[in-house]
Amino acid sequence: MKQIITILLLALAMTGDLHAQKIFGTRNGKIGFISPTDDDVKAVNNEVSSRISDNGQITFSLLIKGFRFKYAEMQDHFNDQYLESTKFPRADFKGMITNLGDINFSKDGTYKAIVKGDLLMHGVTKNVLVNGVIEIKGGKPSVKASFVIVMKDFKIDAANVTDKVTIEINCQYQ
Amino acid sequence: MHINRKFNFMKRWIRIILAIAVACAVTGGIIAYRIFNKPHRDVTQETGVALTAQQLYDAFKTNEQAANQKYLDKAIQLTGEIADISKNQEGNIVVNFKTNDPLVMINCTFKTNPGELKPGQNITFKGICTGYIPDANVVINEGVLAK
Repeated sequence: MKQIITILLLALAMTGDLHAQKIFGTRNGKIGFISPTDDDVKAVNNEVSSRISDNGQITFSLLIKGFRFKYAEMQDHFNDQYLESTKFPRADFKGMITNLGDINFSKDGTYKAIVKGDLLMHGVTKNVLVNGVIEIKGGKPSVKASFVIVMKDFKIDAANVTDKVTIEINCQYQ
Repeated sequence: MHINRKFNFMKRWIRIILAIAVACAVTGGIIAYRIFNKPHRDVTQETGVALTAQQLYDAFKTNEQAANQKYLDKAIQLTGEIADISKNQEGNIVVNFKTNDPLVMINCTFKTNPGELKPGQNITFKGICTGYIPDANVVINEGVLAK
């Protein structure tokens, strides 16, 4: 009886191991944005926390105050007037890769990925669909993607600067 | 004689208007120049709030809102033990400071190269706190080596 239990436990532990998901992460991913109508409206954040799992889950979190602009004055306006970063310090994205079958996390290569998820920013959550590329190199993934967001959708009143921005994601994982 | 005086009068007004226009253009120019050349914050010119890595993490973990009010956008002078050193995707040096939670770090990015550092070393870093990402890290950037 004792033996059977041991074997059962071992078998359980082994199946657990077989299905163990691989999670890759970074604390210093890069996300930038640029206005399609004004090149000067551009900023980069290099402290993006992100995790990607071979079960398809993908998350990004960043701090609004971590966006760096070329012009300090623009950075102040962005934080104080538009994103209200003291009230809403963080933006979060939680999503799933919808075409997981096309991606082999244990084989080097470049794969197209479609990610669907919720973006929470400026206190507003919105469902977004993003097309991107996952590159596996030496067993480590990196993610590149870009998509457009409409400021009004997130109740950001920046009409006198820009209506939309293009978000650019570039994260290398460990 | 009369026409001449009127002409002179008008000339004077034109001069005044021109002078005002020039003054406006110059002021506008100065304002625009100041906006585009306003320097970025320089943390070396500020006195930082002295904290250990653990104290800063504890503050955010217990009450994020209160910690945001206290530390967000503030210069922080942080002392702690280096967990690891890396470079971000722009090539800047990043040091993670240990906390008692193995998954949570204080993530600090240097704006200038601090020279040689080693994991396990205790250092003091001064930078600007941008906030907390639960289950990941507290972020401080635009920093320099203080000690």
